[in-house]
Amino acid sequence: MQNKNNDSLPIKFEQLVVGYEFPPSSYELKVSVIAKYLEAVGKPNKQNSPAVEFVPPMAIAAYTMTAVVQSLSLPPGSIHASQELEFFKLVPVETTINCRGRVAQKLNRGKLHLLAIELDVQNQYQEKVLSGQATIIVPS
Amino acid sequence: MSVLTRELKLSDLHQGDNLPSVVKHITQQEINLYAEASGDFNPIHIDETFAAQTPLGGTIAHGMLILAYVSEMMTAAFGKSWLEGGKLSVRFKAPARPKDIITITGKIDFIEHKEGIPYVYCGLESHNQGGETIIIGKATVKLRS
Repeated sequence: MQNKNNDSLPIKFEQLVVGYEFPPSSYELKVSVIAKYLEAVGKPNKQNSPAVEFVPPMAIAAYTMTAVVQSLSLPPGSIHASQELEFFKLVPVETTINCRGRVAQKLNRGKLHLLAIELDVQNQYQEKVLSGQATIIVPS
Repeated sequence: MSVLTRELKLSDLHQGDNLPSVVKHITQQEINLYAEASGDFNPIHIDETFAAQTPLGGTIAHGMLILAYVSEMMTAAFGKSWLEGGKLSVRFKAPARPKDIITITGKIDFIEHKEGIPYVYCGLESHNQGGETIIIGKATVKLRS
């Protein structure tokens, strides 16, 4: 997987404020990229799945999460606490996607912080294909 | 109560039906492959020495890998309706670790029509071989006409 345009330095967790927008990232979902993803998650039964023709939506979610997390310097021990996702449109292999992340919430819970990041993904025609929210628990 | 085994039409779906479960053996090799495929090289997933020194005590699978297995189950049951009209909300309750056997299960909670379009609401769970809950959540599928 190759991020086409996000090479800025990671922002520190302490610097994040609600509304902060992570640098947008773009990925070309080539056949080889999707093949690698399918190999990693175990190829589903072809009879039951049309996903070989289309990019599995969880692959798109994973690339988006990676793009955001690579833009962010999180303390060791940070863990993924919850995930919301919504899929709007089939994404054929070879599509280019544009991923955006935005800080939706940053809360203190004693020795822990909760960081909620909104995710939004469009195809090359600016059509929304996926959105969601990831919540990460960050230790103090 | 039946188990759904193929892409279904509305007439095939009933409240209480179980979705076809997915069982996966988690290995460090698979976690490493997923790190390569997703680009997520957080050491908690791939560096056994580092992970052993954290409160987790060892490496854990990516949460998004477990969600890939959830999506495999939903795709098997609902096909393209899931891929272009699926909605998911899950909480990660415990980590999945190398050598774990993870079972993903789902059940149709209810079916509702909104403006003539059927929506299927499912409950989702994942457990390891010891019965510990790994994830819990809900999914909604807008069925294609």
